[in-house]
Amino acid sequence: MDFIGGILYDCLYHAVPILLCVLGGIFAYKANVLNIALEGMMLAGAFVSVLVSFQTGSIVLGYLSAILICMVIGLIFAFFGVTCKGNVIVIGLAINMSITAIAGFVLQLMNSANIKLDFTNAADFKIDLPFIKNIPLIGDILSGHTVITYISFLAVIVIWFLMYRTKFGVYVRVVGENEDSAKSLGLNTNKYRYLAILLGAFFCSLAGINLALERMTIFTNNMTAGRGFIAIAAIYCGRGDPLSCSIYAIVFGLARALSVNLSLYAGAAAAVFDVIPYVVMSVVLTVVSMVKYRNRKVRGI
Amino acid sequence: MTKRKSNYIGPKIINTLLPIGLAFFIGGIIILCIGENPLEAYQIMLGKSLFTVKGFLNTLHYASPLLLTGLAIAITFKANIFNMGVEGQLLLGGFFAGITGASLNLSNSVAEKLICMLVGMICGVLFALIPAILRAYFHVDEMVVTLMLNYAMIKVLEYLSSGPFREAGSGYVCTPVIHESAMFQRLGIENSRLTMFFFLAFAILIVMTFVMTKTKLGMEITAIGKNPDFAEATGMRVRRKIIILMCISGGLAGIAGAGHMMSEKFKYTLGFSGTTGLGWDGMLIALLGRHNPIGILLAAIFYSALKTGADNINMYTSVPKEIVEVLQGLIILFLAVQFLDEHFGLKERIMKLKNREEVA
Repeated sequence: MDFIGGILYDCLYHAVPILLCVLGGIFAYKANVLNIALEGMMLAGAFVSVLVSFQTGSIVLGYLSAILICMVIGLIFAFFGVTCKGNVIVIGLAINMSITAIAGFVLQLMNSANIKLDFTNAADFKIDLPFIKNIPLIGDILSGHTVITYISFLAVIVIWFLMYRTKFGVYVRVVGENEDSAKSLGLNTNKYRYLAILLGAFFCSLAGINLALERMTIFTNNMTAGRGFIAIAAIYCGRGDPLSCSIYAIVFGLARALSVNLSLYAGAAAAVFDVIPYVVMSVVLTVVSMVKYRNRKVRGI
Repeated sequence: MTKRKSNYIGPKIINTLLPIGLAFFIGGIIILCIGENPLEAYQIMLGKSLFTVKGFLNTLHYASPLLLTGLAIAITFKANIFNMGVEGQLLLGGFFAGITGASLNLSNSVAEKLICMLVGMICGVLFALIPAILRAYFHVDEMVVTLMLNYAMIKVLEYLSSGPFREAGSGYVCTPVIHESAMFQRLGIENSRLTMFFFLAFAILIVMTFVMTKTKLGMEITAIGKNPDFAEATGMRVRRKIIILMCISGGLAGIAGAGHMMSEKFKYTLGFSGTTGLGWDGMLIALLGRHNPIGILLAAIFYSALKTGADNINMYTSVPKEIVEVLQGLIILFLAVQFLDEHFGLKERIMKLKNREEVA
């Protein structure tokens, strides 16, 4: 029982950064700007939050500055991709590389391989839910997560509402599906693209903060390890629908939780278990694409 | 026609040089911020690796794998396919070329080198085949798959090199050193590191240029890049072409890895392809070289000079050598945008401006 509880707790724990990235990427995906820079934005969020907390000793400043910097990166991405009409895939990869490089540059200047906060530790960020905590299995799974974890699951509903029940969501989808008709309606298409990208940057910064500051209070370079790309795979699988994309993100969390928990028993071969999430995601993506393609063929669209 | 074409070169060159200039400018500001003189830093970085004979030959040596990875990415870009797995394919090719070179000991060194190269190439092809088949037959986005498989491959190789294939006597994670017969020996010109591998890479570049511009396959690939539906409608087998293309790309990456192993590293370590990774550098080179063979050659040499210069900059100044990676990211960022429309020549543009002024 404890083992299953542990795996399910880890499942939520590992799903959160992906989930946030997915939520961030959905609007950009719907607005037809593929945001490959999710990975870099998440890394920037992780880096800045830990760096600022380390320098100032204030966690709140760390949160705020990470969000601010990620928004700036989002603006840069939007400026080059939307206003200058550059190739968004290349821009995204360039941002990913630049962030890694800048983080490495600063770490080198500080003469250390990682930044570790010594005035706080990960346990301080965990919040026990008052009543749920006492329910046997469910309490173990749901309680004891960080603030952003709870925010992220609420955000799924908020994003769903934003996408399907507000004018903004409809406009973003129109811009993505048919730019010309959006223009003919008098919509400022660039504005909606900018907003979609900035929303993505905001959620990516939360993902980064969760990954580095809240979970471990430590930053090492490249700690995002492809989570942004997995989020993109999840978005592809769910075709931009907030609920189904979130489910794929949680599937990844489960794969990751299994790989972490099982690798404890594997000994020397533990490293191989790290491969599971990436392979699982590739297989899921393949199956979804196959089904999608067959549907299209049957319906003759 | 030729005259018109030459007109177009002007904006192309500006579009290529401007990003480099902008990136160096921003890099200069960063260097100023940490209290160093940017001009001096850049001079140290590029002066030695480009303007001394030995330095230049070393630059050529380090440019050899970059030529191949740049080419591997450039040919897929041409067909509008994104093989982002060049890094993984290169690592896999390099790893197994290294294992082969260490376990096989033939007296004929040419045959041994050939076998190692072949193993590297086959590994690259096989690893590229997975996303290629998924893309061609199941319409899975090849970019996402290749990006994710890179991480999976790095983990697998980490396991293989620290477990089954680990050199027992060494203090850090690495595979056994390859036999001397599998190594590309230094040619010894001016005491530089230059080996035959550079000339091999150069020959492959020429052959691939011929294939891409003069053969049916190359032209079909260009057509697919322009409009896949049209290509399909005219009777080309787009699926098969995509698979062939990905295989060529993976093969080139595998050869690059094998060559890097046999001319420079001689054993697989966890930092086999450097900090940014030779595969990622290939993307910069493909973009900077504008998918054109001479461009790729120049871009590979330029970037290799930057990278070898980075070691000098670490030695003589307090600027961390990660500055080169920052520059790389910035250059790619600016390269993604066309500053000038390439459909008009420079002359026409100036004429237009003049006309406008006259009217005003």
